[in-house]
Amino acid sequence: MAWRIGVDSGGTFTDACLFEEGSGRVEVWKLASTPDDPSRAIAQAVEQGLDRVGAAAETVAYFGHGSTVGTNALIQHRGVPTGLITTAGFRDLLEIGRQTRPDLYDFQVDKPPVLVARNLRLEVPERVRHDGTVETALDERAVREAARALKAAGVAAVAICFLYGFIRPEHEATARRIVAEEFPEAFACASHEVAPEFREYERLSTAVVNAYLGPIMQGYISRLGERLAQLGLAARPHLTQSNGGVIGFEQAARLPVRSVLSGPSTGVIAAQALGRMAGLADLITFDMGGTSTDVALLRGNEVRLASEATVHGYPIKAPMLDINTVGAGGGSIATIDSGGLLKVGPRSAGAAPGPVCYDRGNTEPTVTDANVVLQTLNPTHLLGGRMPVRQDLARAAIARLAEPLGMDVMATAQGIVAVVTANMARAIRVISVQRGHDPRDYTLVAFGGAGPLHAARLARELDIGSILVPRSPGILCAMGLLLTDLRSDFASTRLQLLSGASLPKLESAFTALLDKAETWFAEEGIAPAARRVVRTVDMRYEGQNYELAIPVPPGPITAASLDVLAEGFAEAHRRMYGFVAEGEPVQLVTYRVEAAGVVPKAAFPPRDDAGPDAAAALLGRRDAWLPEAGGFVSCPIYDRERLDCGNRIAGPAIVEQMDATTFILPGMTARVDATLNLILKTAS
Amino acid sequence: MSQANALKNAPELDPITVEVIGSALNSIAEEMGEALVRASYSTNIKERRDCSTALFDSDGRTLCQAQHIPMHLGSFIDMLPHILKRHPAEELRPGDVFIGNDAYEGGGTHLPDFVLLEPIFAEGTLVAWAVNTAHHADFADRGHAHIYQEGLRIPPVRLYRAGVLQADVQALILLNCQVPRERLSNLRAQMAANRLGVARMTALCAKYGTSVVLAAGRALLDYAERKMRAGIGAIPDGTYRFSDVYENPEVPEGLEFGCEITVAGETMHLHFTAPPQVRAGLNMTRTALLATVFYAVKTIVDPGVLANAGLARPLTVTAAEGTVVSCVHPAAVNGRCSTCQRVVDLILGALAQAVPERVIAATNGANTVCLFDGAFADGTPWIYLETIGGGSGARATKDGLDGVQVHMTNTSNLPVEAFEIEYPLSLLRYELVDGSGGAGRFRGGMGLRRVYRADAPCRLRVDGSRLRTAPWGLAGGGPGATGSFDFGGAVADRGVVTLAPGQIVTVTTAGGGGYYPPEQRDPAAAARDLAEGRLDTKRPSPPAAP
Repeated sequence: MAWRIGVDSGGTFTDACLFEEGSGRVEVWKLASTPDDPSRAIAQAVEQGLDRVGAAAETVAYFGHGSTVGTNALIQHRGVPTGLITTAGFRDLLEIGRQTRPDLYDFQVDKPPVLVARNLRLEVPERVRHDGTVETALDERAVREAARALKAAGVAAVAICFLYGFIRPEHEATARRIVAEEFPEAFACASHEVAPEFREYERLSTAVVNAYLGPIMQGYISRLGERLAQLGLAARPHLTQSNGGVIGFEQAARLPVRSVLSGPSTGVIAAQALGRMAGLADLITFDMGGTSTDVALLRGNEVRLASEATVHGYPIKAPMLDINTVGAGGGSIATIDSGGLLKVGPRSAGAAPGPVCYDRGNTEPTVTDANVVLQTLNPTHLLGGRMPVRQDLARAAIARLAEPLGMDVMATAQGIVAVVTANMARAIRVISVQRGHDPRDYTLVAFGGAGPLHAARLARELDIGSILVPRSPGILCAMGLLLTDLRSDFASTRLQLLSGASLPKLESAFTALLDKAETWFAEEGIAPAARRVVRTVDMRYEGQNYELAIPVPPGPITAASLDVLAEGFAEAHRRMYGFVAEGEPVQLVTYRVEAAGVVPKAAFPPRDDAGPDAAAALLGRRDAWLPEAGGFVSCPIYDRERLDCGNRIAGPAIVEQMDATTFILPGMTARVDATLNLILKTAS
Repeated sequence: MSQANALKNAPELDPITVEVIGSALNSIAEEMGEALVRASYSTNIKERRDCSTALFDSDGRTLCQAQHIPMHLGSFIDMLPHILKRHPAEELRPGDVFIGNDAYEGGGTHLPDFVLLEPIFAEGTLVAWAVNTAHHADFADRGHAHIYQEGLRIPPVRLYRAGVLQADVQALILLNCQVPRERLSNLRAQMAANRLGVARMTALCAKYGTSVVLAAGRALLDYAERKMRAGIGAIPDGTYRFSDVYENPEVPEGLEFGCEITVAGETMHLHFTAPPQVRAGLNMTRTALLATVFYAVKTIVDPGVLANAGLARPLTVTAAEGTVVSCVHPAAVNGRCSTCQRVVDLILGALAQAVPERVIAATNGANTVCLFDGAFADGTPWIYLETIGGGSGARATKDGLDGVQVHMTNTSNLPVEAFEIEYPLSLLRYELVDGSGGAGRFRGGMGLRRVYRADAPCRLRVDGSRLRTAPWGLAGGGPGATGSFDFGGAVADRGVVTLAPGQIVTVTTAGGGGYYPPEQRDPAAAARDLAEGRLDTKRPSPPAAP
C-alpha cells in the first residue's frame, strides 16, 4: 500500500506523520532537530518512521514538508553576508525605505537592522525610464568591478535591483549574468525574478531577503533532497509556501523568499483542516514551538491572504497567510535586560544544546526549564520517557537569575511563564483585537510542542472560554501536510484599460498562466479529475494604486466576460468603498490563476462515547506549582493515549503524551471529543 | 435617549471590555485610513499617506486617532465646535457630511487639509463622529502674505445632506482647485473612509450595546488621563526653559522662540513666546500649537498613552494671541508644519533638563516641502507635493535615526517608479548625506538628499528650515549639519523657482544633533561609521545627469 509522509521541521523538534492511503492508518514520530543541518533529523525521522510501520521507501507516494529554516534565519538575523548592486544614486534606498519612522511616538524604537551593510551596497551607472526606454546603458564594466569587490569582501549572496527592473529586466539580467561569471559561487538573484512588481523599495527589500536567505534555504533543500534520495524515496518532495500552497522542491529553491513562512503556514493549514473536521469555523491558532510561536486567526475557516506583508520588519512582496510570529518558544532563554526587567527570547537554546535540563552544556534558563522547575512539565523525563531531564540543573540556572531580581526560585520560574504568556497574548491581540475581532468569540487551537502547556494561562489572560488541543498537538503540522490539497499560484502583471480592445491581452495572459498551471499539474502527476483552477483579475480605477481581486467567470474568455468583470469590479468597489465612479476608466492590472490538485487525505472516523470516567488513563499524581495556591498542589496526571471519547477531567490536572503536555488550570474542565481532541472549557 | 442618560445606565465595565472596545475603536480608525489610501488617485494620499482618520465622541472629544500624522490632530480638535456653532445639533441627520478647511472659521490648520466629518447615530441618538482629513496637493503657486492668498477658505458646510450630495457646493470647491479630478477622487475616498467608520461604529454599538460603547469611550479618556498624570508625576517638579531661533527662506533673519514648562505634581503648564505673526506662510493657529504640544508631551510622558482627549486634561498651554505660534486672522498658515517641528524641539530642549534620558537631541527641525507645478502637454495643470525627512536627534542610549520623518509628520516618500510615471520629473539621486549626523557618543541621524531633474518647464517652491542654524546636540553632543537648497543657478522669485527642461535641483535636509561628547563614542561604532562612509563629508555627490 502507498504511504504519504508529512514532516514538519522546527527549530527544536522534527515531527513525522505517516499515513497509509488504503487503510487510513496514521503513525506519528518525533525526534530532536539538528539545527546545524535540519535535513539530518528529517531523514532520520523518515527512516525510523518507515521502519516502525514496516514499509519500504519505494512505497512512499508523497512527501510533504514544512520548514522554519527561513523564518528562524530572518528572526535571528542569521542569513548570509549579502551584497547589493543597484542603480547609481540609490544605494541608500534599502535603508531609507519609505522614509517613515518605525513608531510615531516612541523615540526608542529602531528600524530592523539593514540586511546589507552600506559599504556592500554598490552603485552602477544605468538608468531605465518608466516607459521601458533606456536612458543610460548599463555600465557592464562597473558591474564586473562590483561583483569582484563583493567577492573580495566575502559576501555569499548578491541581490541585484535596478529601477524599473519589472518593466525592462534586461539590465538586471545582464548584471546577473556578469555576477555569475565573476562570482559563480555566490547565490545571486535579480528583483525582476523575485517580485516583478511596481514600487522599487518593496521589490528591493524582497530581492534582498531572497538573497540573504537564499544560500541557507537552497543548501538546506538540496541536502534534504539528497538524503531523501539516498533513503530510496522516489516521490518528489514538496514544501509548503508562505501562502499555504504546496510546491515541489525545485520550485522552492528558486525563490526561497516565498517560503519564508513555510513552517508557520503549515500549522495554519493544519488547524484549518482540523477545524473543518471538528466543525469549528472561528479559530485562533496558537502554535508554540521551541524557538518561535505563530498565531493566526481563521474566521469562517478562512485565513486572510496578503499579497505583501512585513515579515519580522522586512517588506516582502509574495502571497502570504496573515500570520503573526513572535521569537519566543519553549527553548527561549530568559535574561535580565539593561533596565532590570525579566525578558524571554528571542534568543533560543533550540535543540542543541537545548534547555539547561537537557544537560547538554547550556547554562542559561529557558521556558522549558521554568516548567520543569514548576513541575507542570515532567521533572524527570520528556518525550514519553525517551529523554531524561535534570531538574536540579534547571533549578540552579533559574536561581542564578532569581538572585539579581531579588526573588525566590519559584516566583522567578512562574515569572518566566508569565512574561511568555503576556508576549503571546500581545501577539494574538495584533491579529484579533487590532483587526476588530473579539478573541472571546474564538476557540484557541493549541499545538506545537509547547502550545498545550501554556494554552490555559493564555486563554485566561485573553478571556477565551474554549481551547482545542488536537490529539497529536506536537505533530499537528506534520499531520496537516497530509490533510491539505496541493496548491500553486501563478500571476502576471500587464496594465491595460478595460475595454473591448483588452480581450486579446486578457485571453493571452490567461492562456499563458493556464499553460504554466497545466505544466505544474503534469509535474505533480495530478489526474485531470482532481484539478481545480480559479482565475481572478486585480482591477482598479485608473489613478488608484491599489486593486481589488475580481473573479473571472468560468468558461472561455469572451466579450461577455469583460462585462462580468466590469460589473464585478463595480460591485466590489461599492461594497468596499461605498461608491462607484461612473464613467471613470477601469484598469486591469494583474492576472492570477490559483491551481489546486485534490489529493487523498487522512481521515479520522469518530469514536464511540466511552463515558466521562477518565480513571483508566490515570498515571498517578505530581505536585505542580500553582501561584493561585501559593505553593505546590497535587495534580492528577493522565495518559493522553488512554483517554477516550467522552472522558472528562477537572483542573488542576496534567495530561502527558509523547509529543506534548497539556496543563489544565483549576476552574477549567476538559473533555475528549469523538476524534480524540481535548476540549478545555473555562467553567463559568 | 440622550448620551448622558445612556452613560448613567451604563454597567460597570470590566477592564477587558474596555480594552477590547478601545482596540476596536482604534481598528475602525485604522481601517478608515486604509480605505482612504486605497480608494484615492492622488499621489499625496495613495502613496505618501498624507491623511489621517479619527473618531470623536458626540461632545467633540477625540476618542482615537489612527497612527498617521500627528499634525492632523490640529485640524480635528476644533472642527466640531465650529460645526455646532453654525449648525444646531438637533438639525443633524444621518448621512449629513460636513466639509471644512479654514484656519479661522473652521478649526483647520492650513487650507489644503480638507476635513470631512460625518455624525454617527445609533438607536436614533448621535453617538460619535467619523472624521478624516486628506492633504489635497493643490493651491500651488499662490501667495502667502495672508490667508486669502493661500487658497479657497471653506467654513464647515454640508457636502452631503442626509446622504444627498450637494452638487453646487462641490462644484464651487472644485472650480477653485487647479487639479479638480484629483480633488474629486480624494473627496470620494474621504467619503468612503467615513462611511466605513459609520458602518463599523454602528455595528460595534449593536454588538456591545450603545451605552457600553459610550461608557468604554469615556473610560478610555479617563484611562489616558490617569496614565498622563502618573507619567507627569514621575517628572521632577520645576520650571524648565529653552529658546532657539527659527529661520526659513521667508524669514532668513530668524525668529526668536521661547518655551517655559512648569511641572507641578501631576500637571504641566507650557508657555510659549514668539514674535508677532508675520506676512509669510509659517504662522501656527492655536489648534496647531495644541496638536504640537499633545504630540511632544506624549512622547516624553508616555508614548503608549492613547491618543485621545483624556491626554490633554493635565496640560495647560498659553501663548500670546497674534504671535507666530498662536496666530489670528488673517495670518497665512500654509507652511505651519515646519514651525511646529521647531516647537517640538523647543519642548524637548526644555524637558532635557528634567528627563534627559527620555528626550532626543534636535532633529532636522523642518518639514521640508517641495511643491512642483506645471502643465501636461495637453494643457491640464499638474501639481506634485512631497515632504522630505532628515536626521532625527540622537538618543541618550542610541544613535538617532537616519533619514526619517520626524515629530509632527510621518508621510511616506513616493516611489520613484510612481513619481516618474505621474509627472514630467526625474529623480537622479536619493541618499543619506554623509557626515551630516551630529557627532557624539551617540551620533545624530543623517539628513537626506534628493536630486531632481525637470523634464518639462515647471515651477518649484521649497519650504524648510535649519538652513542657517544647525540642529543642536545635547550634553556635549555636536550639532547636525545644516540643510541647503540648490536650484542649479535658477533664482527664486518670492519663493518660487521657474525650472527649464533639463534643470537640476538638489534639496538637502539637515542631520540630527548628537548626544554626549564624541570622544566617548564606542570605537567599534566609530569604525563602522567610517567603513560605511557615514562620516566622510568630502565624498562628492555630483548630480550625475544621465
